[in-house]
Amino acid sequence: MNVDDMLKDALREQADGVGPAPADFADRVLGVRRKRRGRTVAGAAVAAAAVVAGALVVPQIGGGEDVRPAGVTGTADVIAHPDQSPPKDVIAAGRTALASFSTTKQVVFKDGDGEMVRTYGVLDPTTKTYRKAAGWAWLDVAPGLRTAAVLEKDLPARRIGLLDLATNKVTRWIPVARGAAGVEFSPDGSKLVATTYKKDPDRLHKENKVSDGKKTYPGSGPSTRTGYSVIDVKSGKGTWFAAPSNEEAFGNAREDAYFSPDGKLVGVFTEGGFDNDSTLKYYDLAGKEVATPANLRHLLGWIGAASLSPNGKLVAGDFAGKGKEIAVAVNDAVTGERTDKLPAQQILGWADDKRVIAWGCDPKKCDGKGEFRNQLLLVTLGTHKVVPLSDFRKASAAYPGRWSPEFTTR
Amino acid sequence: MDAVREQRGESAEGFREFVASRSSALLKTAVLLSGGDRHAGEDLLQNALIKVAGRWSRVDDPEAYVRQVLYRQQVSRWRLKWPRREVSYGEVPDGAAGDGGTSAAELRVVMRTALARLTPRQRTVLVLRYFEDLPEGDVARVLGISVGTVRSTTQRSLVRLRGLAPELASLGRADAEQPPSRDYAPVEVRP
Repeated sequence: MNVDDMLKDALREQADGVGPAPADFADRVLGVRRKRRGRTVAGAAVAAAAVVAGALVVPQIGGGEDVRPAGVTGTADVIAHPDQSPPKDVIAAGRTALASFSTTKQVVFKDGDGEMVRTYGVLDPTTKTYRKAAGWAWLDVAPGLRTAAVLEKDLPARRIGLLDLATNKVTRWIPVARGAAGVEFSPDGSKLVATTYKKDPDRLHKENKVSDGKKTYPGSGPSTRTGYSVIDVKSGKGTWFAAPSNEEAFGNAREDAYFSPDGKLVGVFTEGGFDNDSTLKYYDLAGKEVATPANLRHLLGWIGAASLSPNGKLVAGDFAGKGKEIAVAVNDAVTGERTDKLPAQQILGWADDKRVIAWGCDPKKCDGKGEFRNQLLLVTLGTHKVVPLSDFRKASAAYPGRWSPEFTTR
Repeated sequence: MDAVREQRGESAEGFREFVASRSSALLKTAVLLSGGDRHAGEDLLQNALIKVAGRWSRVDDPEAYVRQVLYRQQVSRWRLKWPRREVSYGEVPDGAAGDGGTSAAELRVVMRTALARLTPRQRTVLVLRYFEDLPEGDVARVLGISVGTVRSTTQRSLVRLRGLAPELASLGRADAEQPPSRDYAPVEVRP
């Protein structure tokens, strides 16, 4: 960690420790104002304010001036749009924002093979709305919500683009010696981990047919992962590490490496073969294998590092409902023992140490197909207070298919 | 349009709503600008809110206005050479770091203590750069100073932080302390 990171952490921690403003703050302000207006001789504080007034340029909304008060999303604790699905306006809670979402559709070619094609909606930091970002095979938004790493179509890609989300232009290309098909920012945004493959993991093969009972479709092939590169964003320099997938496995074609929650390790998942269990291994940034840290033993496979609470003490658990009950577990990160059970289907990440962002279905219609009619919820541990963040998931003309959220620290 | 403006009315009631919904978030920034002194932070925010109350019907974006007043008022304090309030910390750690044994949590406390001892101007620039995450150009605009001044103030502030807290010497150098380099200047290339 460098001074930059420590400073950010120290300021954030200090800000988190500031309690709420007094409940009567507005009355107090109006009271002081009345008193001051009655004075003929301005007090020191007013004199200071007067100096300020002379120099001030009041930002005008719609006046063309770029006003960015506090980060991209402002500092409102919860920004919810329970009437929107897919989201149109920024959604955020605590330290986390919905940075982007994607829908996937299967395209079948004439020769019988196919491709999983993603369409992204990504937050425009200027308008604070989600903008359709078609044309990218892969997109990952950096913490802070101003930049995304993108890969062009026809994976594996030989360069990583840094997309300025305000201008929608690639400001820099980072060439990679080995083709990458997935890329992810480190939690502090200073590094990228790019997972390298021999073949496009989103490609669908007619030899691997899958059926929905009525029709057959081309299916995923085996993983052709060769390894991963850890790249310094500033210098563009990277180091590649071999981490080939298990050739016997019939698992996911995509087995991307990811950063541990503290950004100091890279986690690499390998699907087991016929006789082997699946393995998740951690490597330091120099590529040396290290023992799995005690609080990373119980991460959920589908959300990886996002399972862990910001303080590293709790971890998202599996579905924990019995009978018709809809509930999801929160567990102790080290022991894996349940510490809470929340009224939601699946945890997607943490807003802070006390609140998770999760999928939840309509409690009255959660049977059968209703299980898939779900919305983003903010759920508080302990009190189980639920705040809807989005409307229920459904397809739309602009984004065909179900949208999947991707979160980033705002 | 953000939620704050949607909720905003044109009356004292609108002002009260604005304060109720935004003052806790604004107070965080005000306390950071005041070096962790909660009372000074409340004073700072109170003065800024008094200003916005006086022109409530004419300000399009009250939050941006209040923030700009906060930042500039804090810098103005420096300009006016106001006596700085001494901030007492009940949690100052031992000065000497162990042999590489200082934990991240301890370092953050050391950092906070050192931040409180910077000048308001130095601290304001660091809060804008590292807490509000504003680019140098935006910091320059909200403070009404040049980008070069933002850069040099950031560098000097980081150097001063290290001077105030030798425990931080074990950390890597911050980007702002690095000599400027053109090696990674952005090149605009369309996909």
